[in-house]
Amino acid sequence: MAEKTPTQAQTTGHVWDDDLQEFNNPLPVWWTYTFYVTIVFALVYWVVYPSWPIGKSFLPGVNTITYKNAAGQEESWHWNTRSKLLMETQAAAVAQKPYFDKLAALPYDKIAKDPELSSFVVSAGKVVFSENCAACHQAGGQGKVGFFPNLTDDDWIYGGSPEKINETITKGRHGYMPPFSDALSGAQIDELAHYVASLSGLKADAAKVAKGKELFHSHVAACYYCHNDDAKGRKDIGSANLTDKVWLWADVPGAADDAGKIAAIRKVIVGGLDKGVMPSWQGRLSEQQIKLLTVYVHELGGGK
Amino acid sequence: MSATHQAAAEQYDYDIIKKFSVMAIVWAVVGMLVGVYIASELAWPFLNFDSPYFSFGRFRPVHTGAVIFGFGGSALFATSYYVVQRTCQTRLFAPGLATFTFWGWQAVIVLAAASYVLGYSQGREYAEMEWPIDLLILVVWVSYMAVYIGTLMQRKQAHIYVANWFYLSFILATALLHTFNNIAIPVNLFTLKSYSLFAGTQDAMTQWWYGHNAVGFFLTAAFLGMMYYFVPKHAGRPVYSYRLSIVHFWALSFMYMWVGTHHLHWTALPDWASTLGATFSIMLLLPSWGGMINGIMTLSGAWDKLRTDPIMRFMIVALSFYGMSTFEGPLMSLKDVNALSHYTDWTVGHVHSGALGWVAMISFGSLYHMIPRLWNTTMHSEKLINIHFWLATIGTLLYITAMWISGISQGLMWRAFDDFGNLQYSFVESVAAMHPFYAMRAIGGMFFLTGMLLMAYNVYQTIRQGVRAEVANARAVAAAA
Repeated sequence: MAEKTPTQAQTTGHVWDDDLQEFNNPLPVWWTYTFYVTIVFALVYWVVYPSWPIGKSFLPGVNTITYKNAAGQEESWHWNTRSKLLMETQAAAVAQKPYFDKLAALPYDKIAKDPELSSFVVSAGKVVFSENCAACHQAGGQGKVGFFPNLTDDDWIYGGSPEKINETITKGRHGYMPPFSDALSGAQIDELAHYVASLSGLKADAAKVAKGKELFHSHVAACYYCHNDDAKGRKDIGSANLTDKVWLWADVPGAADDAGKIAAIRKVIVGGLDKGVMPSWQGRLSEQQIKLLTVYVHELGGGK
Repeated sequence: MSATHQAAAEQYDYDIIKKFSVMAIVWAVVGMLVGVYIASELAWPFLNFDSPYFSFGRFRPVHTGAVIFGFGGSALFATSYYVVQRTCQTRLFAPGLATFTFWGWQAVIVLAAASYVLGYSQGREYAEMEWPIDLLILVVWVSYMAVYIGTLMQRKQAHIYVANWFYLSFILATALLHTFNNIAIPVNLFTLKSYSLFAGTQDAMTQWWYGHNAVGFFLTAAFLGMMYYFVPKHAGRPVYSYRLSIVHFWALSFMYMWVGTHHLHWTALPDWASTLGATFSIMLLLPSWGGMINGIMTLSGAWDKLRTDPIMRFMIVALSFYGMSTFEGPLMSLKDVNALSHYTDWTVGHVHSGALGWVAMISFGSLYHMIPRLWNTTMHSEKLINIHFWLATIGTLLYITAMWISGISQGLMWRAFDDFGNLQYSFVESVAAMHPFYAMRAIGGMFFLTGMLLMAYNVYQTIRQGVRAEVANARAVAAAA
């Protein structure tokens, strides 16, 4: 192949490995000048931002940041990461403040009647809920059968008033039911399971239901002690309402057939429960945030 | 041609190069397979199987260790031993020591991977190996340095070829970086667990001084050394500019050492240190591009070969990705760009445009050039090299495009406020929004891995045909005698 490069530079004259050579071309002009431009850029950057360390201090740079601190006073500093963060978060905090103030001042029944405040609660509550609550109660608050209560239905284990919801978030909860595997025989547990199934209209064996009903209210099983005579549970101790169609611990909705539903109920009676733990959020969230979440969660379930 | 190869095989120590070349291919397959697996875990989390041994956290260093140190490292050992012998016209200094570097290095990769899966990690990115493995690396690396410098010292030519400067700077810098980043105190003599001597921000800065210079010297300077030999050699053209190679070599070596702090923008690191990291990154752009210009201008007299030679295609595309990612890097190091890009997938995409596009592609090109010469044969299938080229290119493009979109979306979602001053999105919403791009990234990885499997098959067939020809040749010689 003929070379058509009359202006081609000379090689350096060295040859390695039979045929490796190097041309002695000058540095490309655009390369050299662009390199200088990057150096000038660096010089400007050093003047604008904090740069070279000198002794125990450093060049602070001419750039400044001004922001309003938490007390509402203006502060001005040489450019620094912390002030930049404060400037941005304070701007958001300033925008939020009137709404949070109003939220703190108003009683719960008035908050719901204020449409602007309500839309603030939906917007702010969504993120606080997602960051703190959704890991257990799931993104939309629908919970998970066998693990975490559904917050979007109207069934409140510990009460659905704003005051009760606030108490739940602030102090946390610990649900407990003892295991009955030792106290009751297999047949008795079976009878109880059929009775509990019948309470919410599930298909059950009539003979077993009758026996189970007797056991439920007897001193042998003493279910009524926590779940009440009417089996509707007690909100003060968080015992479940067995007469509605809402299931938290027994995976009845996930059962394939009627036998499976009975088995799911049996499992809870046999093993009891000691995992209904919700941590206390006091200290982790501010009172403002807890009030915000209270209103948000209250609205999720339609409220009571 | 065959006769000169035969002579070269006797003139130079090829056995050690063959060993490292084969292991480079093996580790590439393993490392990329694990890479595709962990990318799939992010898209389809059931792949964790609720087992710590399959978790992303343990597999991730297995992936980075196998591709960087297993594949990249073995490819560098192989090519550096090849280049230094051929350009110095001498056999390796201390061949026994060279053999030790092979077994020692492979032991490092295997032990490191095993320790990660069992849950042992220093928690330092790209330096997760615990202290006993660090000590083994130290011994292997000093041996490597001795072999390399010893070989250079017994060279038959006064001038040292440019590729060797780059390899040597990589060996020296890696020794320095490895030693200082891994100063740690073991909990006791018989435990793998250790704690860094440095604390807090100093520790973070040491880690990123190491981390970024691992990119700078291991993944850039060393592979530039590879480029400086294999590109002109394969194109049959002289290097474009000797002067440019000198200037960009020294500028690159000087600038890189400063830029690690750009990984710690918007953290507890003092602002002045982060400013210096940003500015040296900007000034690093043109020195980085010096290598790209020299490579591309060297190829510029041989454009016609691009139509017919897939190895040449690997080289030119590698140089293009190198140019692109060394432009992107300085851009991301600016404080305001970094405010958007930091902690997002953009960083992951940037690393992979360098790792897949530059490091892997230039290694593929070099290995395809070198392997048939080592076994005194030709590549089994040129067509498979071509298919490998397209799979690798499409895979890389899918990968980095997915990460650009997901990274920038993450950055924008995390900083979005609504009119009330509330954050607009929760973190989990940004995770949900990433899902299609994580799937796309995994598919990009699958393309790249498929190409790698073709290469492994092609190389296996090539070696087989080389060995068979050699045996037949020996028989013919014996029969004639």
